[in-house]
Amino acid sequence: MTDATTTDPSLVLLSKMFAAATEHASVAMSGWTSGQVSLSLDKVQEVPLEEASSFLEMGDDLLTMVVLGIQGDFGGQLILTFDELNGRQLAAGLLGRDVNEESEWSALEQSAIMETGNILASAYLNELTRLTGHQLSPTAPHFLQDYGASVLEQAVMAQAMVSDHVMVCRTEFVFNNQAVNWNVVFVPCQELVDVMNQALRA
Amino acid sequence: MSIEVLNKEKAAVNVGMGQIALLEGNGEAKSVLGSCIGLVLYHERRKVGAVGHIVLPLSQDRPGPPGKFADTAVPHMLDQLLEKGGNPAGLIAKMAGGANMFGSSGPLQIGDANFAKVEELLEGLGIPIIGRHIGGDKGRRISFENQTGDLIVEIMGETAVIL
Repeated sequence: MTDATTTDPSLVLLSKMFAAATEHASVAMSGWTSGQVSLSLDKVQEVPLEEASSFLEMGDDLLTMVVLGIQGDFGGQLILTFDELNGRQLAAGLLGRDVNEESEWSALEQSAIMETGNILASAYLNELTRLTGHQLSPTAPHFLQDYGASVLEQAVMAQAMVSDHVMVCRTEFVFNNQAVNWNVVFVPCQELVDVMNQALRA
Repeated sequence: MSIEVLNKEKAAVNVGMGQIALLEGNGEAKSVLGSCIGLVLYHERRKVGAVGHIVLPLSQDRPGPPGKFADTAVPHMLDQLLEKGGNPAGLIAKMAGGANMFGSSGPLQIGDANFAKVEELLEGLGIPIIGRHIGGDKGRRISFENQTGDLIVEIMGETAVIL
């Protein structure tokens, strides 16, 4: 996999902006989960289109996801992905129940996880709104279980229309003091990337 | 960015967004699709096939690898197959994908447009589409086996389909 942009000055600056947004989201998540969950920025990268899914480790594994669009002055997608076990544990903790061992997520579990995505996305985008001066907010969350790469394909479509590279941002999670296989993938539309770069240069 | 692999071995090559794989012998190719179209052009007698992962319908003079756009991918795949003796008269097509992953209310309903453009191009070239698994709102994992010409399509929670 090519990785020629980690030292790109614009990406380094963008990383600082994403780190600030991630910190804001971490505080919100910690409050929502009574301190169980926190997050930190993992990486910001510009990768060739065909490498996006492997870079984000969203291949042909079936993932549980909450997808939120970005609306307002600019668009994009936020994808929150979970491994099954820890996702169920989070839902159980939020609902004050034992872990559901049925194969299907109940409506209540889905609702708890979607609200988690909503809180995280709101905090994240509120901070980006403050930093860029442009209004950004999340759409209603959408719960789905599918191949990660399939979802990512549609999420990067806006960037794919104008470029053969996509800029993606990934965040790591800690749940009960252990790193877990969750991720938030932030895929801004190209115009939002440009605006963020402009804000950083201002 | 475009992979042109003469995959004569059994190990499957992954075809990423905008890529094309050229197969001979018992080569295999795989991919995961959302709104993109996985297109197979195959010459059964010559046992050569091309698998494209098409992202957008029209290039509109935009730069990019030939596999990214339907209107560049189809001619490019044809050219590659011709070089391998794949007479256009003997070609068939199979395709999968074109989903709208976030439902009808999501952004960029590109799946339908991708499918329509690929179908239009193939019909214009007289290449029969003998198998299609298109649309919906779920992802697909596909595997193409060049030796048999089978395109296996998997959707989560459903029985796999062989085109």
